[in-house]
Amino acid sequence: MTLTPRRRIDWAIYATFVVLLMILPLVMDAFWLNRAAKYLVYGIVGVAVALSWGYAGILNLGQGLFFGAGAYMLAMSLKLASPTSLQQGSDKPVPDFMLWNAEPGARTELCCITKASFLWLPFQSQWFGVAMGLILPVLLALLLGTIVFRKRISGVFVSIITLALVLLVRLVVIDAQPVTNGFNGLTDLGWFKVAGFEFDPYIVPTYYLVAVSLSLVLIGARLLIDTRAGLILQAVRDDQNRARYLGFDVTAYQTFFFAVSAAITGFAGMLYVIVSEFASPTFMDLSFSITMVVWAAVGGRSSILGACIGAILINTISATVSETEGFAEAWKAIIGLIFVLVVLYLPRGLGGLAHDLVDRVLAWKSRTSPNPTRVGDTSSQLAE
Amino acid sequence: MLEVLFIGLSLGSILLLVALGLAITYGAMGVINMAHGEMVMVGAYVTVLSGIWLGTNIFVAIPLAFIVTALLGLLIERVVVRKLYGRLLDTLLATWGIAILIQQAVRLEFGLSFLGIHVQGLGPGLQNVSVPSFLQGTFSILGADINRYRTFIILVTAILALMTWFIIYRTAIGMQVRAIIRNPKMAAACGIDVSRVNALTFAFGSGLAGVAGVMMSGFKTVFPDMGTSMVVDGFLVVVMGGVGSLLGSVLSAGILGEINGLVAAATNDILARAVVFGVVIAIIVLRPKGLFALKGR
Repeated sequence: MTLTPRRRIDWAIYATFVVLLMILPLVMDAFWLNRAAKYLVYGIVGVAVALSWGYAGILNLGQGLFFGAGAYMLAMSLKLASPTSLQQGSDKPVPDFMLWNAEPGARTELCCITKASFLWLPFQSQWFGVAMGLILPVLLALLLGTIVFRKRISGVFVSIITLALVLLVRLVVIDAQPVTNGFNGLTDLGWFKVAGFEFDPYIVPTYYLVAVSLSLVLIGARLLIDTRAGLILQAVRDDQNRARYLGFDVTAYQTFFFAVSAAITGFAGMLYVIVSEFASPTFMDLSFSITMVVWAAVGGRSSILGACIGAILINTISATVSETEGFAEAWKAIIGLIFVLVVLYLPRGLGGLAHDLVDRVLAWKSRTSPNPTRVGDTSSQLAE
Repeated sequence: MLEVLFIGLSLGSILLLVALGLAITYGAMGVINMAHGEMVMVGAYVTVLSGIWLGTNIFVAIPLAFIVTALLGLLIERVVVRKLYGRLLDTLLATWGIAILIQQAVRLEFGLSFLGIHVQGLGPGLQNVSVPSFLQGTFSILGADINRYRTFIILVTAILALMTWFIIYRTAIGMQVRAIIRNPKMAAACGIDVSRVNALTFAFGSGLAGVAGVMMSGFKTVFPDMGTSMVVDGFLVVVMGGVGSLLGSVLSAGILGEINGLVAAATNDILARAVVFGVVIAIIVLRPKGLFALKGR
């Protein structure tokens, strides 16, 4: 594959970004590194949103469902691994909140302490939790995608269905207090362990766990959209019927990328649990899901790296500004304003702006150089 | 049983109250106005503020809130929404930004809190509105205790729905609105000033939300975030009923309200809401155009 100048610049930018991620621990203390790790997790979510919104044209207002699913699955395992779960008067771990919700006269064991507590049994293995953290979001996405896309539901109706779904699941999770600890969520978790090594959220290796994950997701997503399937997907986004008439199985492509986006989000949810040590129904709040879309919109919905940087940037600035007394609330107002302005005047976000800039530089170069090169794919069109 | 059905009817009327304005802005104009809930909130705050500063009751607040929110709606349409016609999902995002702005404006007392000035009735805290004594308490019909204020809400909702119906189906401007719903370009070609009618429609829809806010303030605590969950419920009602169909919105609000009431009586409020979401998802999946589809743009 020969690289066009445009693509070469693309990869150079990606490489620079990854290198920056890797050298960050040299300039940050443990506290800020932990925060940075959280924002990188949001960056992963940004990639997932860009993939489904920018490339598949599916505005998912329920991205929090996948995030929450991933988070809860791993959190269940880590909850069982926490020291307090081991001190509840049984030789097997039992989460403390189950004791408070115990059925009268039930044995203090996972099998039967509350009505559905047996669901927790397999989560005694951490890797079962990790596997489920990927499997559950993907299954949900496949199920939802198959139903919705087969019925050729599109645009705003998909958004409303996903939005209603995430709120539905949130309520069910809150209602199932004896199994999920309801509103309070899962707190006081153990640390994630790999071969005896414990990922304490405030150490450098944990940061690298997140940073390397982000880099892999980023590059993976970028390669994925360059494949044939990725191109067909963009064709589907731009004109579903035309793609269908050309003989492509539109439902399959949409469902596949929807599931990939879900898997990435679920993965991000798990990393978030490792870094922040809790999982709660707030992950499935309406505002959190819309906030994810905001990140992608500001960063550039049709740019994988743009959406990722948008998420990191907004959160970093928010955190810095919120430190200033009394400015936190004003900052929220500014976010609202930025958002309106971006939608109105910069619909392709920062990524689109950078894209245009690169194009201009290339055009200027090709004019000055004696051997003019054609500028490729200038128009990454907007998703409807 | 009658009491449960009445609660359902009351919940349905509240849903409809919020959904009426959305049915108009979304149905007629194709704008997903996420700031609609904030209009409700502003309406509620108008009640609070007029109670504190003017000493008036909610009957005065109704026209006042209508005017304030209609003007606010007009402003939003002129400044932001106008530029986004035809970009449905972008209207959703931009109005979400506006919603945050309005919330923060109330929370920060329009920036006055930075200067150390505090306006009674604004700010991040909770506010309460007292309703006139003849709307408090209950009366009984056929042995069932019926809450007076809830009855009042049902009445107001019915009046507003009828008024909206009359305006849309029996007036000249309503005819223009309906023409725009069917086909905006053709309507423009026939000499309808689409942008003017759209602005008025948006203002009217926002005004209805303001009145909804006045009614809400009588039985709910008033606080800056109160609108967020309402706008979702409102949308579900409109989409389920069928975009652009007023009758559809009325019926789906009634159905969802009764489902909510019945399930809540049998189990609890949280599950009831979950069931409502489930029903809406099922209906959108089965009939994406809603219960009463209208062929249009």
